[in-house]
Amino acid sequence: MPEKLDKSTIISGGAHLGLIGWALIGGVIHWESPAETVTNVSMISGDEYAALVSNSTDPAAAGPEVPEAPETPEPPETEPETPEPPAPETEPQPSEAPPPRAAEVAPDEAPDTSALEPLPEAEVTETAPPAPEAPVAAPDEPPGASLVLDSSRRPKERPAQRVAPTPAVAPEPDAAVDTEMTEAAEPTPAEEEPAQEAQEDTAPEAANTEIVTEAEEPAGGEVVALAPTGSPRPKSRPARRAPEAEPARAETSQDTSDAIADAVADAVSEGQSASEPANATPSRSGPPMTAGEKDALRVAVQQCWNVGSLSTDALRVTVTVLVAMNENGTPDNGSIRMVGSEGGSDDAVRQAFEAARRAIIRCGSRGFPLPAEKYGEWAEIEMVFNPEKMRIK
Amino acid sequence: MKKLTHILAGLALALGISPAIAQDGPLRIEITEGVIEPLPFAIPVFIAENAAAQEYAAQLSQVVAADLAGTGLFRQIPRDAFISNVSNFDAPVQYADWKAINAQALITGAVSVAEGGRVNVKFRLFDVFSEAPLGDGLQLGGTTTSWRRIAHKVADQVYSRITGEGGYFDSRVVFVHEEGPKNARQKRLAVMDYDGANVQYLTGSASIVLAPRFSPNGDRVIYTSYETGFPKIYIMDVGTVQRRILDDQPGTMTFAPRFAPDGQTVVFSLERGGNTDIYKLTPGGTAQPLTNAPSIETAPSYSPDGSQIVFESDRSGTQQLYKMSAGGGEPTRISFGEGRYGTPVWSPRGDLIAFTKQHQGRFHIGVMRTDGSEERLLTASFLDEGPTWSPNGRVIMFTRSGSGAGGESALYSVDISGRNLKRVPTPGAASDPAWSPLLP
Repeated sequence: MPEKLDKSTIISGGAHLGLIGWALIGGVIHWESPAETVTNVSMISGDEYAALVSNSTDPAAAGPEVPEAPETPEPPETEPETPEPPAPETEPQPSEAPPPRAAEVAPDEAPDTSALEPLPEAEVTETAPPAPEAPVAAPDEPPGASLVLDSSRRPKERPAQRVAPTPAVAPEPDAAVDTEMTEAAEPTPAEEEPAQEAQEDTAPEAANTEIVTEAEEPAGGEVVALAPTGSPRPKSRPARRAPEAEPARAETSQDTSDAIADAVADAVSEGQSASEPANATPSRSGPPMTAGEKDALRVAVQQCWNVGSLSTDALRVTVTVLVAMNENGTPDNGSIRMVGSEGGSDDAVRQAFEAARRAIIRCGSRGFPLPAEKYGEWAEIEMVFNPEKMRIK
Repeated sequence: MKKLTHILAGLALALGISPAIAQDGPLRIEITEGVIEPLPFAIPVFIAENAAAQEYAAQLSQVVAADLAGTGLFRQIPRDAFISNVSNFDAPVQYADWKAINAQALITGAVSVAEGGRVNVKFRLFDVFSEAPLGDGLQLGGTTTSWRRIAHKVADQVYSRITGEGGYFDSRVVFVHEEGPKNARQKRLAVMDYDGANVQYLTGSASIVLAPRFSPNGDRVIYTSYETGFPKIYIMDVGTVQRRILDDQPGTMTFAPRFAPDGQTVVFSLERGGNTDIYKLTPGGTAQPLTNAPSIETAPSYSPDGSQIVFESDRSGTQQLYKMSAGGGEPTRISFGEGRYGTPVWSPRGDLIAFTKQHQGRFHIGVMRTDGSEERLLTASFLDEGPTWSPNGRVIMFTRSGSGAGGESALYSVDISGRNLKRVPTPGAASDPAWSPLLP
């Protein structure tokens, strides 16, 4: 043993020394390498300079280079040239540019109101008697702008929050048609007869597309004003049933016959009792329901959740239903009860709950797809029926 | 080694991993997507409790079934699919038989006719899968001539108990009956049940009539007639068919009238000197202007509480919707989409406004929130116009006209979801429908 220990210590000591030495030497090399690269650059330039100095034997050659030096002053000549042309150009440009800007801005401010005041009055009074013609002439010219701009600017503000986001900024063609239609709606339809006869069937499509677009983006700024639909749901969790917690404990104690396992179970129970109220007992243990198993249950229930016959008010109700399950996966129909609701009137809540109950009973009559070995997990199920995506918007 | 594993597991659990594994409380899932399909219901032929009731029993159950199925929210299960039948009104329901054919609602009824010609109808509604009655049984009575109204009331009750909102079957529709070609069309006022039955004519065809509207309790109709050569507003008592002209001011034209929710005040458009504004007429008073603009303001409609009026105006250069206080004042524009908006009508629920929209050569019936948000177009065709709300605010009826010289106008209805678009049967061409409130 001492020999082995000596060998091992020797080997380890040698290895450590080797490592330390490598670190030191490698570090030094590593640090030196960048310095070499720097000096290399300077060395090359120094040699070149030395070679150039030693080779500079022709003074005449330097003479012709002198004229090159005056060439360098030329750039200064070009420099003033470059600033000069832009300077005079830019100076006149601003002087020219402002006039149009001033002409545009000025009428918007003080001059406009004074200049436009008489004009709109004159035109409005002229166009007012033939009432339908007034809106046609108004948008064409600035005088009418006092009336038209006010109204046309509003649509530009709100379309961003609307379902059909494109703003209505085309008053002229509309106004032109408007005069005809207000008097009689028949002429314009008659002109477009052939092209649209076959389009009557598209009515549902138009409705569907509108509904879809709103459903996709329901949280517009304006919708916030109708807040009840989008409010969070702070539902209180229903009280647990004590009796179901007992079999869960029994299972754990039976499964863990070992003394150590018992100690583990005690540790679990202590941990839970420390974090929860005294009356809250663990309901069950064992492997939890997987996400896939929960999804399968969700899909099975939603297949029978028919909201087609619900009122629009009932479609705003979220109900929470508690149901006790039999071991074969069927619901105990008598145990179905509503433990919470949000939104809607009492009648609407009742209708929403009945639709939920029908869904559970109908699709549960042949048993939900639930893992039998995890009955302790789903002996009681709390289902939240939230029709937010199903609403008529 | 095994013991070491147990110890490590115990330590891990004791350190707080256990709450994550052991579920706390019942399993909780959230269902956010369901299905939208008609609810299947079964309605066996009502039981005739005496010989005189045989005829009415079959017809009554037929009308109830047609009312419910016509909404698009329910689907009638054919009677030949029934496993069992109901031979006794008080016999216990065999729920298993009805579940087997997927009937989610069961309607049973019995009819009897007394010697005085009085029809009595009693019915029950069952939630088949819950195996329980849905509400209490109900008995209705009336004369033999009013058996259709009794059937409509039964359907209203069933509809209300299942959907949670009021029905609309026991209601009427006033409209303009049209005959002849477009260039020489004769128009007369007519009234019928909501489903097109029991058509009665209120006026002759000597003069053109337009835009009839029911009073809030359905006893009067206000409309526009060209009887004097100019459009003038008339009020007619539906029971007696007596009528009188409303506020006849010389040199003016009045049109687009509508009652206020109080049933006394009338709001309408008045054209004077080429300018059209909205006026209000209270009982015993004179017409008071609610708007004063050089543009055209027309088609006013009250909110259900009578506090606001929505109307159309071209003051912005194009025809748009505005709303203002019922006493007048500065209106607020609420329509901002592309195209032109007109004929706004406030929903009896107060939450939506129906309108006609013209855009890119197509006409649409649409709805929007009262602030103009959440616009939805429900229809699209060559010419759709003039929406009117069902008493429960769930269905919209309107006029659809075909193209060409021979294109006839007809009445259509559509659910506010955009589904269940269908034609309303009328004896001929028809336009300008106006839905009454639920009959008393």
